[in-house]
Amino acid sequence: MQAKQTAIVGDEFRPGFRLQRSWDRPMATSFFLGEVGAGLFIVSVFFGYLPGLILGLLITAVGKTAGHLMHMGQPTRAWRAIFKLKHSWISRGLLAIVLFTGCGIILALDGAGLSFGLLPQPLKIVVIVIACAAAVVIMLYQGFAMSHSAAISLWSSGLIPVLGLTYALLSGVSLLSLIGYGMLAARPHDDEILQIVQIGLLVYVAVMLYSLLHAATFGSKGAQQSVSMLLNGPLNKWFIPLVVVIGLVIPALVIPLEANAWLPRLVATSALLAGYYAFRVLIFKAAVFDPIQSFVPQVSGSLARRS
Amino acid sequence: MPRWGMVFDLKRCIGCNACTIACKQENNLPTDVFFTKTLSEESGEYPVVTRLYIPILCNHCEDPPCQRVCPSGATYTRSDGIVMVDDNLCIGCGSCIVACPYDVRTMIQPQHLQRGLFGDGHFTPYEQQAVNRFVAGTIVKCTFCHERVDAGLDPACVTTCPTKARIFGDLDDPDSAVRQLIAERGGQPPLPEKNTNPKVFYVD
Repeated sequence: MQAKQTAIVGDEFRPGFRLQRSWDRPMATSFFLGEVGAGLFIVSVFFGYLPGLILGLLITAVGKTAGHLMHMGQPTRAWRAIFKLKHSWISRGLLAIVLFTGCGIILALDGAGLSFGLLPQPLKIVVIVIACAAAVVIMLYQGFAMSHSAAISLWSSGLIPVLGLTYALLSGVSLLSLIGYGMLAARPHDDEILQIVQIGLLVYVAVMLYSLLHAATFGSKGAQQSVSMLLNGPLNKWFIPLVVVIGLVIPALVIPLEANAWLPRLVATSALLAGYYAFRVLIFKAAVFDPIQSFVPQVSGSLARRS
Repeated sequence: MPRWGMVFDLKRCIGCNACTIACKQENNLPTDVFFTKTLSEESGEYPVVTRLYIPILCNHCEDPPCQRVCPSGATYTRSDGIVMVDDNLCIGCGSCIVACPYDVRTMIQPQHLQRGLFGDGHFTPYEQQAVNRFVAGTIVKCTFCHERVDAGLDPACVTTCPTKARIFGDLDDPDSAVRQLIAERGGQPPLPEKNTNPKVFYVD
């Protein structure tokens, strides 16, 4: 059913699957940091935890931006990316990052008592709403940027943005339960809610991940090739242990032990973030372009035999 | 206004890659950068085996996903349908590379512009003027040799092809060779399921 690795061609002048190589680790790191930071920010706002809000802001504003600039061929022109809001998810994402950073800084200063009364209550609510809306866009737009085009069949799925959003919220909840341990010790009811949400999101991530791979398995040849690489091919030595075992199974086993204990939170959060980062990198590494010559019957037959 | 397109006659292509060389020469392309290639593949089973040659280049799609995702507006379509990249606007995000189903876009890397092909790596005068045409960290692709087309000439790959396997012309002109070939021999666009409406067709 699934195509095998032999049909992957590099720069050879042969028809076959070609690996996507333009978006690699810096972009994956950027996506990861953006989603983790925005997730932590929004959960911290919800639970009123200022250190989490500031950390989430820093992770996204500094980490994500640095990752993007490292990836870009012309980083000094990065500001130009804001011009095509009508068509490009990257433009929309950049606008969200600018709004998120601006509003996040205002909220952080206000929370630290440094706004000198310049942020009255009604205005503060507006700033919170804008910051949270921007955070949601940051959690989603990267997935939409990937799924927007049909070029890479593995990414061309509505599940990609949902998976990004879920992973982001899960990371935010897990990080808050770790760094906000002191605060949550005094609020056992909130701690309990966080733990339930964490388990719910973890299950949802697992279902989404399975659905993504399942849909791709029965998708185009390129999608099948990607799934084959992740589950049976050269990437399975990373995907199974990191994304599935460390990223999903270990947190699922450890989260129920988190009550009144700091170490299980550290283990669960670290494992979860490691798995999530691995997912972000591997989803780029497994991306292939379909052979463009599939319409030529002779070549299609020949490719099938090579598989 | 014409709507330029190209047809590849797979029965005529002999896989000599003269088009590839002509393109590199015309566009002064650095090492490892190709705007067009001719892929080859064996087909059939012994003793009836043939080799099929499949030229590829930018398909100058009617609905180019590369243009849709470009956040800076660097990728645009001319009124004659040629899809271009303005390297003064390109930020090198690579989103067009991942959005193009045909994998025919390349980012110019600094190392592409650092060493000449010959001897100790110094640039020859020919290479030097080529290096000045490119900006590291920006995206390049086939432009259907737009300067030549504007001057009333065919793209370099079409002119060079010894077997006339590449046919260039106006897709809106019912009398053009491209339109007639597509109509008579059932021209197929590459990856039609991607809904990009390519202006490049293959006839077999």
